[in-house]
Formats: sequence, C-alpha cells, structure tokens
Amino acid sequence: MPFKFAKNAAIAQDTCTVEDALPLLEFLQAHRGARIDLAACTHLHTAVLQVLLAVRPTLSALPREAFLARWLPQALGPVERKAAK
Amino acid sequence: MSTPLLERFVGEARELLQGSASALLVLEKHPGDEAAINEVFRSVHTLKGSAGLFDFPAFTKLVHASEDVLSVVRTGQLPMTSELVDMLLDALDQVSAWVDDIDGTGALRAGADGVSKEMTAALRAVLPADYGATQAGPSAAHAGDLVTLDWLAAIPEVDRLSAFAAAMAGAELQAVEYIPLEDSFFSGEDPFILFRQMPELRSLAIEAAEPWPAMDALDPYRCNLRFRALVAAPSTEVEALFRYVIEQVGMAPVPPHALVTVTGDRNGGPVYGDFVEEARRLVAAADWPALRRAVAALLHLTAPALLLASALRWLDAVLAVPTPDASWVTALIGCIATGDADLHPLAPAPLARPIAAVAAPAATALPERAGLGTVSLTAARILDSQRAILGLPVAPGGYATRLDSVAKTVANILAAEGRRAADAAAWSAAVEAARVQESAAPALDLLDHWLLTDEGTAAAVMQAAGDHGRRRAEAGEHPSPEVKQASRVLKVDQAKIDTLMNLIGELVVSKNSLPFLAKRAEQVHGSREMSREIKDLHAVIERLAQEMQGAIMAVRMLPVSEVFDRFPRLVRDVARKLGKRIDLVIEGADTAADKNIIEALGDPLLHIVRNAIDHGIEPPEDRDAAGKPSQATVLLRAFQESDQVVIEVVDDGRGIDPAKIKASAVAKGVLDEERAARLTDQEAVNLVFMPGFSTAAQVSDLSGRGVGMDVVVTGVEKTGGSVSITSVTGEGTTVRLSLPLSMAVTRVMVVEAGGGMLFGIPMDHIAETVRVHRDAVRRFKQSEAFVLRDAIVPLIRLDRLMGVPTSVWIGDGSEEDAVLVVRIGGNMVGLVVDNFREGMDIILKPFDGILANIRGYSGSALLGDGRVLLVLNLKELL
Repeated sequence: MPFKFAKNAAIAQDTCTVEDALPLLEFLQAHRGARIDLAACTHLHTAVLQVLLAVRPTLSALPREAFLARWLPQALGPVERKAAK
Repeated sequence: MSTPLLERFVGEARELLQGSASALLVLEKHPGDEAAINEVFRSVHTLKGSAGLFDFPAFTKLVHASEDVLSVVRTGQLPMTSELVDMLLDALDQVSAWVDDIDGTGALRAGADGVSKEMTAALRAVLPADYGATQAGPSAAHAGDLVTLDWLAAIPEVDRLSAFAAAMAGAELQAVEYIPLEDSFFSGEDPFILFRQMPELRSLAIEAAEPWPAMDALDPYRCNLRFRALVAAPSTEVEALFRYVIEQVGMAPVPPHALVTVTGDRNGGPVYGDFVEEARRLVAAADWPALRRAVAALLHLTAPALLLASALRWLDAVLAVPTPDASWVTALIGCIATGDADLHPLAPAPLARPIAAVAAPAATALPERAGLGTVSLTAARILDSQRAILGLPVAPGGYATRLDSVAKTVANILAAEGRRAADAAAWSAAVEAARVQESAAPALDLLDHWLLTDEGTAAAVMQAAGDHGRRRAEAGEHPSPEVKQASRVLKVDQAKIDTLMNLIGELVVSKNSLPFLAKRAEQVHGSREMSREIKDLHAVIERLAQEMQGAIMAVRMLPVSEVFDRFPRLVRDVARKLGKRIDLVIEGADTAADKNIIEALGDPLLHIVRNAIDHGIEPPEDRDAAGKPSQATVLLRAFQESDQVVIEVVDDGRGIDPAKIKASAVAKGVLDEERAARLTDQEAVNLVFMPGFSTAAQVSDLSGRGVGMDVVVTGVEKTGGSVSITSVTGEGTTVRLSLPLSMAVTRVMVVEAGGGMLFGIPMDHIAETVRVHRDAVRRFKQSEAFVLRDAIVPLIRLDRLMGVPTSVWIGDGSEEDAVLVVRIGGNMVGLVVDNFREGMDIILKPFDGILANIRGYSGSALLGDGRVLLVLNLKELL
C-alpha cells in the first residue's frame, strides 16, 4: 500500500498507482487539513497528482526522487509556500 | 511469456492483417475505392494502437510508417500504385511474421529492429517531402499545431533561460500541450509518466484544464489536467513519445526569441546609464568577451527580483554563444535603458524579421508569427472580425466613422496584447493612409499581413476554437463501430467448443443405452409399461441431443472464404513473378464447412492453385498465339453437394497433355511402356497424383518439386475427402475436391468378425454388400477372389487380416459368405466378415497416448451398450 494513512497525515511511499487516487481523495475529504508526506514517493500516477492539484493539501515533505523534486514544486508550488508561512 | 492480452492481440492482429491485405488488393484494382482505403487505414490504425500495448517498438514503428503512407494516400496526396501496394504488402507480411514470432516465443525475432528500420525508411521515403508539416487534417496521426504560445511567458524564467541556452546550443525547441482525454485513466494511461520519459524536458506546467469542482464533487478518475511543456528535442522524438495519444497533443516549434520576456520589479534599483552607454559601445565594437564580463559583474550587483536583473540575465544568455546576435543584444540593452517591462523585446516584426531568419530555422516555419508574434486566440478573432467589418460595403459618408472605430479597436488590442510600439505605429500609419485614400486597402493589407501571412492561420484559429471538444469527438469516433461489432460476435477458444462437442458425443452415447434399458425392463423385470415409458423418454432425449449436435456443428461451421481469402494475394504475387496475367474469380465463398475441414483445405488448395498458375496458365504471348484472351482466368468455386463440400479449381490454361504425362511416367520409371500405352487419357491424367511425379521442365520455387499433387491427395484423404482431375488439352484443367461437411460425425458400418468382435468400417469406403456363395470363391494359391459383375474382386478375410480367431467352417459350399465390397484407391476389394450389423453415426476419437502409433485404426467410438468399437483405417490395412 503506497499510502499510509495516519490520524491527520498521509505518507506516500514508492509508486502511487491509479488505484490510490480514490482512497487519497476520500481521506482528504474526511480529514480536511491533513498533511501529505511525499518524501519517499518515487512516482505519482497522474490521477493521484490530480487529486493533489485539485485539493491542494498541505505538503509536509516533497519527494526526494529527482524528477518529482524537479517538477512537482512548480505544479503544487503555491501550497508549499502557504504552508511554509 | 503468454498473457491472455497477448493472445488476444495475436488473434486480432492476424485478422486485421488479413483484412488490410485484401483491402489493399481491392485498392490496387480500383485505386479510388474509398471504402477499401478506409478499411486498410482503419485496420492498420487499430493494429498500431493495439501493438502499443506491448513493448515491440520495431513492430509499432513499421505499422506506424505504413499508416502514415496510407494516410497520405487517403488524403489523395499520393496515388496508389502497384509498387506501393507491393511495399505495403511486404510490410504487412513482415508484421505478420512478427505476429507469428510473438505467438510462438512472445518476442520478435533477432534483427527485427534493423528490418523495421529499413522498411520504415523505405516507406517514409515515398511520403511527400512536406509530409511532417502538412498533416493538419484529422486523419493524420501527428500532433496538432499549437496556436497560442502565450503561456510561454508564464514559464518560470529559470526554465526559460535553460531552454533558451539549449536552443542557442543548437537544439530544437518544442512547445508541447497535452490535454489527456477525460477517460484516459480508464484506458490505462498515465500521462504524467510520459513526461518522465521525455528527453530534455525544460519546463513542465501541470494545471487544471477546466476549473476544479468542489472537493466533494471531484471525480478522481476523470482527467481534468493540462500539461504544458517546453522540450529541447526534435519534434519527431516528442511525437514518438506521444505516439499513442498524439491526437491529444498540440505541438509547435518555439523560436528561441519567443522565450525572452523581461519581467520583474521595475521600481527601485539604479538606472544603469553608464552601463548602457558602455554596452552600446562594446556592441558596436563587437567586443563580446568584454560585454559578457560587464554583464556578469553588473548582474552580481543587482537584486535578482528586479526587472533589470531579468534583462541582464537574458542578456547573459544571449551572449552565451561565441558570436551573439547584435540586434538581440541591442534590444535587450534598450530594455535596460528604458526600464520598461517588455514581454517580447525580440519577437515582433518588422524589427525581428531578419533576426528570426538568422536565429533559427524553426522561426521561418511559422511565418504568421513573424507578423504578429504570439497572439492570443481572442485577439486573433477580434482582428479577424475587424478585417471583415472593413471589407463590408459602406454607405456614402459612413466610411470615416467606421475606419475610426476599427482603428480604435485594433489599437486597443495591440496595447492589450503587449505589442511593441512598432506595430502600433504601423497601424496608425495604415489608418492614416486609408483616411487619405478613402479606401480601406492599406489598413486591410496590414491586418491581412498580420492575420493571414500564412493560409493556414485562419483555419488554425478555427481549429483551435473547436479544439477541445473535437478532439474528444474524434477519439470517440473510432471505437464506436468496433464496440458494436464486439457485442454481437463472441470469440471462443476452439478447445471450449471441442469440449462441448465431446460432451455432446458422450450424451449421445449414454442416450443410446436407453433402448437397452428398455429391453431389460421388459425382459428381466417384465414391465412392458416401464419399457414404453423409457422408449418415449429416449425419443425426447434423442431429439434434443440431435438438435444440440446440430447447433454445435453450426458453431464450428466456417465459410470457405476463410481459405479463399488468401488466394487473391497469392495469385497476384505469383502471377506478377511469372509475368502472367491472371484474373482470379471466386464463387460460393460463403459455402460453409466444419472448421477442421476448412483448415485441412488450405495446403492442398494452395498446391492446386500454384500448379494451375505455374504449369497450367501459359505466358500471355503463348495465349495470344493460341487465340485465347491474354488475361487468363482461374476460378475458385465452392458449393455444397448433398453432405459434401465440393471445391473446384478451374483454369483455362494449356491443360494436361496425356501423351506427355505418359512419356514422363515411363521416363521416371513409374510404369512401363506397355502399361502406359494401355492407359486411357483420363487414367493418364490421374497419374499426376502418383508420388514423385512432376512434368515441369524445371523446378521453380513455386511448384514442380514433384510432391504437389501427391500432397494434395494425402491432405484431402486425411479428412475423408477425395480429389479428381479432368483436363482438356489446350482448354484447361479442373481439379475437384470433395470433402465431408463435417469431420465430427463419422458414418460407419458395423461388422462382426472373429466370433462376435465388432469393427467399424467408414461408410465412404463401402461400395456395396454382397453375399457370395462359397462355391463361387476362386482360389489362386493363397489368394481368393470372386467375380462381381464381370470384374474380378480379390477377397480378404477380415478375421485373418486382424489376427482374431477365425470362425470355423460350418456347413457346405451352399453357405454364403458376407462380403463387404470396399473401394480403396480406385480398386475394389472384398472383405469377408461374419455378419453385417447396422450403420451408425459415431463420434470418432483418434487414438492418443501409447495407442497413437498403432496403425490400421482410425480410432474408436463408444457404443450404446458400453462396448468399444474399433474403426478400421482400410487404407493402412490393405
């Protein structure tokens, strides 16, 4: 299971597949303001990415994987900055 | 490695290849046949799509190239010629060979990539030179053109700088916009991963295509994303990456100067008057290293967020090449001097035109942008409508008012679009000229120049307008007819049907035991009532079983067109190779027969048709000399005759010369001269069925290896059919194959031998049953024979033949022997049996396992009372 759901946080690991999009959305719907940790994530399926883009949850950590680290902040950027403030 | 998906792909691919090959042949005859070209195109297109599911790049590339060629043919840019058909057929043959590989080993054979590359190159070579540029129509599988590039300015400066540097280093820049279909997640796509594979990705923006709905209304599996990327790679590479979603991708080459946008905080920071002066001097002196140093030093001192810093960074980037473009440098220095934010300091005309030409070939590919630079869709539309207003007929005196209002609107748009003063100046000059001349011409000319430098612009604008919706509609167009088909046709593995068949066979057998039960009820238990009820029940079950059997037979029935379909291609190829002109006529292609029969028919028919073309049909000169039409006809005809399918191959060639056959047979030692002389013409013609017989003067690669007709006979007889040949010298030959409709049920006659043992003899061998007086049996040494209607028929005792205990001679010479007269290979043989029993339909099961090698039997069948019936293969026994 690529996503580990905790009380008010979700931790992504390895490859998040298309099947993870719905659980993630349901989690975010149930826990508004939950934080997402993408540090150990190596790939996000587009559907998961879309959930993140649409819901814009607070990200507690960005992915370490090079490609995601390079391009995700641009797409999810404003949220990150807001979270930092 | 075989997955269900792969298996389905193999089946589907074969069908599609067959379909496209037949359609190609139609196309060769009637190059204008739209249905045919659409058929080929659709098949190849579908094939390309399915192949993309698997990792066979060589395969996909070749199919893609074929599709491109077809698409050009379809749009009428390329005529369909025999040579082109040859090329495409070769490509399809190669693909079909690969499909066989995939079926066998799950991978393509070694060297596939090389072959694919060569064939792809050959196919691409026939494409018109401008193919890559002109494929704007919906049929072309290339990325659509991007019309608006205004989002380039929104790309973070650092990304733009990096892309610009790549472009300066000689890379091609592409702006890529990819809007995945809403349901693309359902087709297993992961659009994001494509960008991961993108070489030289310079910027990537992922946004919502339409505003996001509220979180609760969000459907995570409905894709609502838009990817915009800047790539420093050739368009072909990008297209290759997006090949499966290409219709959802828009692409445009980006001239490097379009990336240059100077933005930032214009307030604050000193105005570097002395730098500007110094820089201009250095530019004039073309002292680039010094200017570079100056820029670097100043950049170091300037706060990064300032407009000036941005301009300096761009200046630095422009200066990065050994000999920078002086006009670009000047423009950027001007920008620093004025401190104005300028979205496109380098782009607009007329200033930029020489620059664009020098800068990148990519810029020249977009002439319309030389006029207006990047222009938003809305602005283009407004400009277009203003142009239309100006062109309208006008009431006297109304002209000046209209010109005024149009002039104002256009000026506003220019301002809103961030156009440079040069454009605005050109516009006011044109308006002034129009006012003086009292004619709209100068203003119209300028608008035309901006809007319509390229014919395609208007169309492109319109295309972009309907873009989103139409792409979806297009994508939806293709699958719908296939979906409809799929719902009506069920594809089932043959093994499942065979299982069903076997089960029904066993049902028939168990049903047959009911009469025995009825008899027992009556005889053992003395209940006549019970017996009758069982018999009634038996009748019902029998009717159902028969219907079931009929239904399952019908499932297994295939039209002979399954085999016939490959012949147009074969005949065409062989005829071309031999320089003969042949018209193949097919009749009765929908005649149906059991699948096994149809499959067994393929090889024999292939030999016959090849023989007909190779040996039968004369070259056109000979035909002309003989007074025949130079185009020969080969007729393939199928029809049903009682419970047989008859297939005839008729040619109007030179026919078989009995004298020649006889001479050849004698020369080959097949028979001696004396016997040869006694043969009738028909018998002589039949000699071609003898093994090792061939009259062809030389062995060609088509036929004439001396195995042809022999193979035919063996193949056909295996299915329980027969072959006959008739020929008239000089007029042609007819080969006739008679095959049973179905192999599933065999009709046998049951006979008793060796004291009650039962044997089945296939009915098609049996000529008649007679009873022969023992006195009438003549003996010649060990052999026996009797005379049947003035013909001597040798007698063979089945019990002796089978090595079962011989029944004892009882009685005298007035007793009669039961003799089954069978016909084997044209000879009559009498089989002496103890008793004749009934004829019955059985489901013959060939021996398998350790019994498989026992000769003399065709197989076995279960009888209703549980006994096993051995069915004899008389050909092997006698």
